[in-house]
Amino acid sequence: MAATAISRGMPRSGMSTGMRRILTHGGIFVALILAWEVGARTGFLDPLFFPKPSAILASFWRIYFVQGNIWYHLYVSLGLVFAGFAAGSILGIALGSLVGFNSLVRRFIKPYVIVLEATPRIAVAPLLIAALGFGAQSKIAIIMLVCFFAPFINTLSGVVNVNEEKLELFKSLGASKMQILRKLVLPEAVPVIMAGERLALTAALSGVLVAEFIQRDQGIGSLILVYTRNLNMASAFACIFTLTIVGFLIFKGMEILDRRIAFWNHEDGMARVGALRKGRWAKQAEA
Amino acid sequence: MGQATAAQVSEAVVSGSSVGKTFANGTVVALDDANFSIEKGSFISLVGPSGCGKSTLLRLIAGLIEPTSGALHLHGTRVDGPRQDVAMMFQRATLLEWRTAVENVLLPTEMRGKVTSADRDRAMELLKLVGLGDFAFSFPAQLSGGMQQRVALARLLQTGADVLLLDEPFGALDEFTRERLNIELLRIVGEIGATTIFVTHNISEAIFLADQVYVMTPRPGRIARVIDVPLARPRELSVQLSPEFNHLVEEARVTLGAL
Repeated sequence: MAATAISRGMPRSGMSTGMRRILTHGGIFVALILAWEVGARTGFLDPLFFPKPSAILASFWRIYFVQGNIWYHLYVSLGLVFAGFAAGSILGIALGSLVGFNSLVRRFIKPYVIVLEATPRIAVAPLLIAALGFGAQSKIAIIMLVCFFAPFINTLSGVVNVNEEKLELFKSLGASKMQILRKLVLPEAVPVIMAGERLALTAALSGVLVAEFIQRDQGIGSLILVYTRNLNMASAFACIFTLTIVGFLIFKGMEILDRRIAFWNHEDGMARVGALRKGRWAKQAEA
Repeated sequence: MGQATAAQVSEAVVSGSSVGKTFANGTVVALDDANFSIEKGSFISLVGPSGCGKSTLLRLIAGLIEPTSGALHLHGTRVDGPRQDVAMMFQRATLLEWRTAVENVLLPTEMRGKVTSADRDRAMELLKLVGLGDFAFSFPAQLSGGMQQRVALARLLQTGADVLLLDEPFGALDEFTRERLNIELLRIVGEIGATTIFVTHNISEAIFLADQVYVMTPRPGRIARVIDVPLARPRELSVQLSPEFNHLVEEARVTLGAL
């Protein structure tokens, strides 16, 4: 281990490049936090808007482990995110494939898609609340609204832009419409649909905040509002950084999911699935 | 159509009488008055510049497009759509990236119904035949361009069709790989006794492979001349240095006006 680290690393420091990078970034990060801390303590930064990092850390401790109140709100918000995301993406994928497969529908729907794309979806949120009333339903509807579009458009384009040569191959093999759909169009659209799902999940996280800013009864969004109104900025920051971590985890999770589902775009995925299929083949040969 | 014509048609594996194809509101004549008759087990090359109708002719035989005039017959019956006794291979491998090599080879079988263990064995055999026995569970992205075309060739053979249509199948590969695959192609189609129609724009390649070369010219697309290639089989690359070979190349070039 030591030998490889030396052979790959910079001769001057004797450290591997990966190690150096971690140290450099860590150093910059610590320096920024320190500067913030000093700035807040000396009054250079307005402590009302930029609370000391040490105070934010203390708030973290408090809302997670002393009061423990954030858990409930986090649970509520994440529940809404996943419900809205699931509903929005199912609807998006279903409508996207429906429109994509039907050239007649496609022709008529195009202007509406353009109009919908130009309209900020959030603008409709108050109308949804008016229609569905306060509560989880209207929140989920808002998230669904912001989630719907990316999977819809991506599924549509994935289905419409099917590879012409492969289509000709399938036709030359006498494939039925259903076979073309199941064995060609849908699998080929998977990576682009997954890309849409990623966008949708990010949108869902913003969507839940908007929904909770409007209906501030519970959830992380309303917690941020409450803390800010009480000028407890340290706790508000703790909530915001919580969202940063949640966002990062969600993003990573989607990446892992994408690697599993669209495995053929990744070297390790192909190796894994290839071995799996080889095993299945051997089992079928025995049977 | 008289009695005599019907008998004539049934003798040839593939035949066309006055076949024409016009595209784009009748302005582009892709193929004009093509008459031909291809014997069982023979290897035909279609050669000519782009726009000469060679790919159009191939797609007509495959039943992917319909002729504007005339008729095509395959095994004595009129071609009116894709069918099982003819299969096509394209310039690009067009493999499904989410399937392993052997699963790609099985695709034609899946289109026709349930895959049996005999089908699976055959797919494996064919992969061995094209020299990819050790890569059955590799995905297309893990294979080189030449290997991908070998998989496509195995898939073509998996159809069980005895008329094989190849549209510049190795055209996207480097010259060395292409020559090697051409020789293997000759070996394989010879082994299974398939009737092969091979499209290329390379005159030497066309002659090297074929029993008969259809030299085609553009605007409108026409079969300008049929050149018989009496070179002995099995052929080796060195045959291209022989005077007979060069004479045939010259003939084709003169027809194409490229000399």
